[in-house]
Amino acid sequence: MQKEQTHVALDEAEAPRALWPQALVAAGVLLIGVALAIGAIGIPSQAGYGGVGPNFLPWLVSIALIVCGAWMLWEVRSGGFRELDEAPGAARGHWPAFVWVSAALLVNAALITTIGFIAGCTLCYLLAVQGLRRAAGQPQANRPGVWAIDILTGALISAPVYWMFTQFLAINLPGLTRSGWL
Amino acid sequence: MDILQALLSGFAAAITPVNLLWCLVGCALGTAVGVLPGIGPAVAVAMLLPITGKVDITASMIFFSGIYYGAMYGGSTTSILLNTPGETASMVTAMEGNKMAKSGRAGAALATAAVGSFVAGTIATVIVTLFAPFVAEFAVRLGPPEYFLLMLLAFTTVSAVLGKSTLRGMAALSAGLALGCIGLDQISGQGRYTGGIPELLDGIEIVLVAVGLFAVAEVLYAALYEGRVHESQNTLSRVHMSRRDWRRSWPAWLRGTAIGTPFGCIPAGGTEIPTFLSYAAEKRLVKDPADRAEFGTAGAIEGVAGPEAANNATVTAALIPLLTLGIPTSNTTAILLGAFQNYGIQPGPQLFTTSAALVWALIASLYVGNVMLLVLNLPMVGLWVKLLRIPKPQLFAGILIFATVGAYGMRQSAFDLFLLYAIGVVGVAMRRFDFPTAPVVVGMILGPLAEAQLRNAIAIGEGSPMVFLQRPMSLVLLLIVVTVLVLPRVAGLLARRRAVAAA
Repeated sequence: MQKEQTHVALDEAEAPRALWPQALVAAGVLLIGVALAIGAIGIPSQAGYGGVGPNFLPWLVSIALIVCGAWMLWEVRSGGFRELDEAPGAARGHWPAFVWVSAALLVNAALITTIGFIAGCTLCYLLAVQGLRRAAGQPQANRPGVWAIDILTGALISAPVYWMFTQFLAINLPGLTRSGWL
Repeated sequence: MDILQALLSGFAAAITPVNLLWCLVGCALGTAVGVLPGIGPAVAVAMLLPITGKVDITASMIFFSGIYYGAMYGGSTTSILLNTPGETASMVTAMEGNKMAKSGRAGAALATAAVGSFVAGTIATVIVTLFAPFVAEFAVRLGPPEYFLLMLLAFTTVSAVLGKSTLRGMAALSAGLALGCIGLDQISGQGRYTGGIPELLDGIEIVLVAVGLFAVAEVLYAALYEGRVHESQNTLSRVHMSRRDWRRSWPAWLRGTAIGTPFGCIPAGGTEIPTFLSYAAEKRLVKDPADRAEFGTAGAIEGVAGPEAANNATVTAALIPLLTLGIPTSNTTAILLGAFQNYGIQPGPQLFTTSAALVWALIASLYVGNVMLLVLNLPMVGLWVKLLRIPKPQLFAGILIFATVGAYGMRQSAFDLFLLYAIGVVGVAMRRFDFPTAPVVVGMILGPLAEAQLRNAIAIGEGSPMVFLQRPMSLVLLLIVVTVLVLPRVAGLLARRRAVAAA
């Protein structure tokens, strides 16, 4: 009995903070549904003699997403998502780390064809590991020695991976040169 | 006799030195990804899908199934030794396994998990060997309406039954179906949702979605929310089972196998239900009061042996619907289906006739793989445990390099890397708000197939959806789908009424 009461009290304390992100997610689902529906208008319906044309599934999923999004919004308005497991990890996000890791991925995507796989992935590793070190609260992350170690580690993972895929498996990955080694 | 003959020729193909090597590498890699937090078998296979462009199909399928299998063995190591289980499949193992490890019996827990996985995996492989050809023979008689309804059943169970919230499961499934729509429509050749971007005409690669949702999302999530989560690790004791441990384990292995196998066979996926059922059964069936007292306290070995066996039996038996019907029931089998598709092969009843050599080599490699994994996991477990010492920042940053290989290697397009990031961000939100991911992957892979079957079915019915009611088999399947949707709700409602009445 006592256990139930503490549970309710906790929920109430967390409720105001927890709801707007849920509303955002629900609205996102709804908007994707609407966007897909708009896209579905342009898909012709000629069905041949099947009776079901290429626009059937797009309409079905658009409507399903709109219904799901609207329903979720209703859930948020009436107390929040149902049967929601508490998300693992901290209650608040460490956004600087998220930015580091995002930068790692986006920089890699932007540069990989220019600077090659090994350099691109080393850079990606460096930025990501720096962000993750900050998220883990490692104060030494900023030291030049740690940067040097991270660059070296990144290169030591990227280079063999590159050689394994290009030389052994003959899969094309972008290189700085055409040698297949760099 | 035919089966034996076919199996023997399968062995002949599977134990060539090259294929044995692929099997060994797959099993070792699978164990490693099972042990390491952050990547599972689905994403490991997905990242390596680009090899389908170069490696012979038999070898790559043996390799991928080694990963699929090995991850199950490796996963139990992590769930016993770390105090935070990674995936749902090993959650149940973690309950008792962790307690055993805390009371100094980690070795016995690891041993019963490994031997149990071997026993269950082997028995389930025998069942695959014996039954898959019959299921295939039967499946030849199914027409588009039946196939469509089987796929609908898979969608229903994956999205509405397995997850907690049907609503979020349906949203995830719809998102997966929408992703599957992108590109050229299979039947009419009509472009859908391409937005004028030429890269999208070919559709979105399953690699991107799987690697984005699982690997990239995992890394972003770890940076955002889990930086300061510190896991404590239990100490490893000698991997050894006493006579009493053996006596308590073997009935649990067999029961676990008996519970897990049927769950794998039906297109309903998921290891959660069979592992929980096995755990509940073991807890109820234990007779000795001393053994019973160990449940939830010092850790009961039955509680590790049963669920581990159930887990492996389910995973192995899940190959039956995959190979004979072409219906995947989990993330990893969905990606295996994607691998077949990369070779232009559609798993289904014809697979046993058109690609008999491949299928039997694959099945034979499962036997070989199980033996390899037992050897890799029992004496060498100490080696795998060392992987847990890799610090999280370096591990997760390293995962991104492999994610890049998988995503870029498939189509050599930097555009895909941007898409990968976007999918990763969506994955973070899904994880944070408890959306299931399996419906996305299964919906994306199975969606276009289900759509084609639906359109063929309606064409058979000359434009009338009544075709689903007129054929006895499809009517039965339709009723099953409805039952699966309705039954849990009615049961829940009744339970609530009873609770109210009791109060």
